[in-house]
Amino acid sequence: MSGLWTGIFCPQVALQAHLRLEPDFGDPERPLAVHDLCRGRERVIECNRSARRHGVAPGRTLADALAIAPELHSVARCRGAESGLFEEIALTAYQYSHQVALTGDGVVLESGGSRRMHGDMDGLLSAIAGNLEEKGLFVRLGTAPVPAAACLLARGRRHIQQLKELELTLAEWPLRKLSLSTAEMDRLEGLGLKRVRDVLALPRFERERRLGRELNRYLDRIRGRQQTPLVYWQPPEAFHHLLELPVPSARTEALMFAFNRMLQHLEEWLKIRDRGLTALEVELHPEDRGRVTHLAAGLGRPGFQRDRLLELLRLKLEPVRLGAAIERLVMKAESTLERRPPQADLWSGTNVNDAWPALLDRLRARVGEDGLSGLAPKADHRPERAWQWTAPGKTVTASESPPRPNWLLPRPRPCRIDDLRLVDGPERIESGWWDGHDCRRDYWTAHDRHGNRLWVFREYKPRDGWFVHGLFG
Amino acid sequence: MQTRNSLEQLLNERGDLWRGRRRQPAAALPTGRAALDARLPDGGWPRGKLTELLPECVGAGELELLLPCLAGLTRREQPVLFIAPPLIPCPQSLIHAGLDLARLVVIRDAQHAFWAAEQCLKSGLCGAVVAWPATDRVDDRAVRRLQLAAENGEAPIFLCYEPGCRPPPSLASLRLSVRSGGDIDLLRSRGGHATGTIRLQTDNVIPMTRRDHAVR
Repeated sequence: MSGLWTGIFCPQVALQAHLRLEPDFGDPERPLAVHDLCRGRERVIECNRSARRHGVAPGRTLADALAIAPELHSVARCRGAESGLFEEIALTAYQYSHQVALTGDGVVLESGGSRRMHGDMDGLLSAIAGNLEEKGLFVRLGTAPVPAAACLLARGRRHIQQLKELELTLAEWPLRKLSLSTAEMDRLEGLGLKRVRDVLALPRFERERRLGRELNRYLDRIRGRQQTPLVYWQPPEAFHHLLELPVPSARTEALMFAFNRMLQHLEEWLKIRDRGLTALEVELHPEDRGRVTHLAAGLGRPGFQRDRLLELLRLKLEPVRLGAAIERLVMKAESTLERRPPQADLWSGTNVNDAWPALLDRLRARVGEDGLSGLAPKADHRPERAWQWTAPGKTVTASESPPRPNWLLPRPRPCRIDDLRLVDGPERIESGWWDGHDCRRDYWTAHDRHGNRLWVFREYKPRDGWFVHGLFG
Repeated sequence: MQTRNSLEQLLNERGDLWRGRRRQPAAALPTGRAALDARLPDGGWPRGKLTELLPECVGAGELELLLPCLAGLTRREQPVLFIAPPLIPCPQSLIHAGLDLARLVVIRDAQHAFWAAEQCLKSGLCGAVVAWPATDRVDDRAVRRLQLAAENGEAPIFLCYEPGCRPPPSLASLRLSVRSGGDIDLLRSRGGHATGTIRLQTDNVIPMTRRDHAVR
């Protein structure tokens, strides 16, 4: 396996998974920790600088930590959020290389092939780091000629391109810098081995007999003597993103912030899959396991603009009454289409083409799918069936018809003929024997006492009588 | 003649000069009726301004009054929005008046009529907006907001109040009541002096008796 590999290491992953969902990454002065069940007790596994200043350190039991620093805010570790974080990093990495793999504590990607795209290695690395930072992720990057070592070097931000140099560097490393299990570490220390060099100095046969084949294989892999088996990561076929809010909230601003993060993720997924979004669905799961709130936003034209979607979601969220605080968000790309880049007007530079669908989307988000439509004639002689609501902007052709009033009543209203003066007519309409809505009518234009022009008819079938059906004017 | 033209030109160039009664005609949309154009202060429907229509009853003639102008806009590929119309606009009649239905968007939500109208005006994409707000939603703040939104764009906004609605005193540049039968009372026109009744001939509909066949 030749080439150059970049490892992405995410320090304090549990803490970061929590903090990136808080605007401005929370207050740095607030002592914050993440705890987990560890050796039978709730223990602090990661904490921020402020907590350290208060004397809290990883490894302490939660009870101890709270005794030292009563103002400490500690949250339980959420493994789902962490793996979600790695998925997001992988998705970002996938934009720079098609060979991306998850290693459990980080992500590696093949970077030798794409470094020239960004000028040189430094350009590529700063592009990756910058992209992740925008999403609120702070990572360390390292480079090595073999994937297994790239992850190790990322922890110390080391960049080594030659295999020879890598071997020399690793030989000087203390063993605890490798990712070894506690049992393996104990055994090695029991033998009095401190550095990688010490282990390698043993004859190979002896090493395999005493330390097991697994460790030897690991040492060979990080030194590039043996290939690292990698399962390449693939972007998911469908977008389905789950987000646990660190602090359940019903505040619009907190939810909008989380939406923004999720949309960033969606944006990358769409870019990689080369799709345009047409419908988006968001589920809000409340803390008390109550009713799930659904928000749906549609785009008239496949595409993606984060600020526009955020605005649509805000419009949808505003009228919703959230009974309880929301603890979990699920975002789904309900439907996507092949992406067709919008075409800007060459002369004016503004994208008028795109602005009109955007306006309709915004209106639709508030008034509902049925609240906005176009109007079209329908081929039927019965006036109440001769019109229909359509999608706006649909071109329609209508056959020549006799004059009609400007307004139609939703349903004809009975009227007294004595109050009216018939002016013009009749127009006989007899139709509908085939669909059970058979009718026979004579339509007239009439004037009422106030001078309004009405469209009235005398019906013979199915009932007898005079009705108003429309208004001129 | 030459000197007169150059004097006119000089006077027009000076923006700080106020000339009594000789107003610079603002860009206006022709109403499609010469009798009406002559009486309106701008010589047509004022662009980028609010026009209020008070029909005497539903369907007194406000749509008939606006149709020629709206039809002209749609033919120039400008979208026209109907917001919360009280009844169903008949597509055949609109086509007959020359309106391109592909450019017409109808919003059927009286609740958000003011909001929708404001969004349309702010976007600057619409040719004209016609709204029929529900009486209980009308207040001077909402109307003022609409007036401000209109001023940013080119599109005229027509507010057709429900019959019997007493609209708030507003800054609308034009307010007219539409009587049954189609005559118009000019109630208020900003910058113009003329108020009073304008008689319009609305009998431009082809009488039905002239048709040579009945639809069967």
